[in-house]
Amino acid sequence: MTNLLEVQHLEKSFGEHQVLKDINLQVEPGEVLSIIGSSGSGKSTLLRCINLLEQPTSGTINFHGDNILATKFDVATYRAKVGMVFQSFNLFNNLNVLQNCVVGQTTVLHRNVIAARKTALEQLAKVGMTPYVNAKPAQLSGGQMQRVGIARAVSMNPEILLFDEPTSALDPEMVDDVLDSMRALAHTGLTMILVTHEMAFARDISDHVVFMDLGVIAEEGTAEEIFSHPQEARTQEFLKRYLNRV
Amino acid sequence: MHQRRNLLIFLGMLFFTLLTVPTVTSHAADETFKVGMEAGYPPFNWTQNDASNGAVKIQGTSTYAGGYDVQMAKKVAKSLGKKLVIVKTEWDGLSPALTSGKIDAIIAGMSPTPQRRKAIDFTDTYYKSQLVVIVRKDGKFTNAKSLKDFKNAKLTGQLNTFHYTALDQIKGAIKEPAMKDFPSMRVALESGTIDGYVSEKPEGISVTNADPNVKMIELKGNNGFKTNPEDTDLAIGVRKGDADKLKIDHALAKISQSQRDDLMDQAVAQQPQSGNKQENWFIAIFQQYGGMLLRGTGVTLLISMVGTIVGFMIGLLIGILRTIPKTGSVLRRTCLKVVDWLLSVYIEVFRGTPMIVQAAVLYYGAAQAFGWNMDRLVAALLIVSINTGAYLAEIMRGGIMSVDDGQFEAAHALGMTHLQTMFKIILPQAIRNSLPAVTNEFVINIKDTSVLSIISVSELFFSGSTIAGQNFQFFHTYLVICLIYLVLTFTITRILRFVERKMDGPQNYNLMANQDQVTTPTAS
Ligand SMILES: Nc1ncnc2c1ncn2[C@@H]1O[C@H](COP(=O)(O)OP(=O)(O)O)[C@@H](O)[C@H]1O
Ligand SMILES: [Mg+2]
Repeated sequence: MTNLLEVQHLEKSFGEHQVLKDINLQVEPGEVLSIIGSSGSGKSTLLRCINLLEQPTSGTINFHGDNILATKFDVATYRAKVGMVFQSFNLFNNLNVLQNCVVGQTTVLHRNVIAARKTALEQLAKVGMTPYVNAKPAQLSGGQMQRVGIARAVSMNPEILLFDEPTSALDPEMVDDVLDSMRALAHTGLTMILVTHEMAFARDISDHVVFMDLGVIAEEGTAEEIFSHPQEARTQEFLKRYLNRV
Repeated sequence: MHQRRNLLIFLGMLFFTLLTVPTVTSHAADETFKVGMEAGYPPFNWTQNDASNGAVKIQGTSTYAGGYDVQMAKKVAKSLGKKLVIVKTEWDGLSPALTSGKIDAIIAGMSPTPQRRKAIDFTDTYYKSQLVVIVRKDGKFTNAKSLKDFKNAKLTGQLNTFHYTALDQIKGAIKEPAMKDFPSMRVALESGTIDGYVSEKPEGISVTNADPNVKMIELKGNNGFKTNPEDTDLAIGVRKGDADKLKIDHALAKISQSQRDDLMDQAVAQQPQSGNKQENWFIAIFQQYGGMLLRGTGVTLLISMVGTIVGFMIGLLIGILRTIPKTGSVLRRTCLKVVDWLLSVYIEVFRGTPMIVQAAVLYYGAAQAFGWNMDRLVAALLIVSINTGAYLAEIMRGGIMSVDDGQFEAAHALGMTHLQTMFKIILPQAIRNSLPAVTNEFVINIKDTSVLSIISVSELFFSGSTIAGQNFQFFHTYLVICLIYLVLTFTITRILRFVERKMDGPQNYNLMANQDQVTTPTAS
């Protein structure tokens, strides 16, 4: 089976500080990949390298076999196919909920407004945000904002969706709404890369799990392998800390 | 003849159409002689509340017009055998009123310049002004009889007038720097920093009436200044080909020079501000100078509004240019750096120098260096725009940079280009955030356009100075000006607050029960 996304020997340094070291990853279409690891291990940086919010220092990233780091590569078109859901939501403050989900479609995908609104409303309905289409981001709770964030990303019909700790900034009672929306998305067969500290959720929906530590992939395997039979001591250590906390 | 006469016509019209007193014209009454004047330019013409001193009722109002022009008009009408009707008309509306037949003649202290002669005809001179020198009665030059007697006298004149250039005709005089207005020269004369200043006879008569310590030196014939009739003559404007022109010339010929001098002396003595006090100074100022004040307010508002809007656009453009990420090829980065450097030079220069100096440099400098005779209003608009642009550039840059990085990232993550991100996401927020600063700039501009009086733009402060120079009521006049500024800035602030609230959208949102409901109300 061909890989949708392939990361090889990826390195990223901020000045002297090497944050990612020799990262190798494959993501198949329809796969859900979870990335776990302690804070500062480089998970966000990896996601940001994948959609080119950060420029990798070396290595290659292939999308459908095309090298996205090549100079002539069309970054904007690529990014339109790679959705991103942020920890801090990053909804456009000047636009209301509906416009947030429409603006990318009209400006980047050049969809007409009617079609874009239709798609946006469908996606907002799926995350249960239809009643709030006229609200501005500042008028919403965190959980509501994140569901809009998901609808905004999905409205672009991405081939792969990246989540960077989508529930970390939320009050506990709002987490489930967001996780439900994500679960529903996973069931549609959308390819997802998910950075999360929600271990139970990751275990539940992931096909593949990567454990990162200090900028390297310390261990990877199926959800079952990583969560039930971790091989590495640092994985065991990490999971123990998280399970105790739960 | 008078400096303010040359100023800005085209934009002024915009504001003045409102003010021009609507005149009812009846072409049927052939027996009337309709004369247009401002009724606000003493001693030539002014408005008063009664018929004293031979004043004539102003058509369509309950006020009366007095002054030298009115007395002349009466004489001319009499010899034409027609009934005199005075039509109060704004300065800029006089010529159109004449050509369109609303009035039959302009008797309004107008000089027959070649420019005006293109549109209308002029009769012979009805008043010949003459240059005089105003000195202290107890000074060294009080007995001067000819230009030669002013050897070693420290003399000056009003900036940018033929009065000042005429000083060159006095050999051996010390030509002091030109001054902005007559009040300044009067103060300078009183304080002894100058020995005298060049003026015109009507002003001279006014000042000698008002101030017993000064004396007007009239210089006769070859002992006096040589002047250009274009500058000193006043004539009656009539329609081209008007058959009455000859009759008017004939009538004027019958009024001797001494009669004219007497009429002027009377007019100066009778002009409303020199003595007979109005009941209420506040109302009096508005009655007498309402048009001038409104004109000044209009010009101030126009300059500050256009200046702020254009400056805002300049600032926005620079803000955008300066926040382009300096990435990509070496060439691109170098270009961006050069542009960035040039823009910061612009910002530093215009933020680091006073606007009054910039205005003077641009206006006089351009004329001097390149021979560009810029329109004063254009120069004013240019300076205020460029100046505001320099201030707002930094504000807009700050506004753009204060937008959370997450907004850029989310937009980029959707695949938007830098420009799309700017226009759809960042700028709306940056503009909204900097709106209070823009409001502030607007308010500052309303006040700071007053420095443009340096280039004689007839904005509100300039109008105020002009009025104060005529009525000698400095305190009262500036109090009125002050009040107008306050009303302007207060109103502008409220309006822009309203705009801010409008941009923020409704405080509350409506919950939508279902999708069908949504489709109608939110057009995006
Ligand atoms: N823009 C940056 N400049 C410098 N250092 C950074 C930057 N972004 C992240 N880092 C560093 O990279 C390391 C990994 O960060 P991050 O990828 O955010 O970790 P995680 O998401 O796993 O918590 C951290 O030590 C962080 O300080
Ligand atoms: Mg992170």
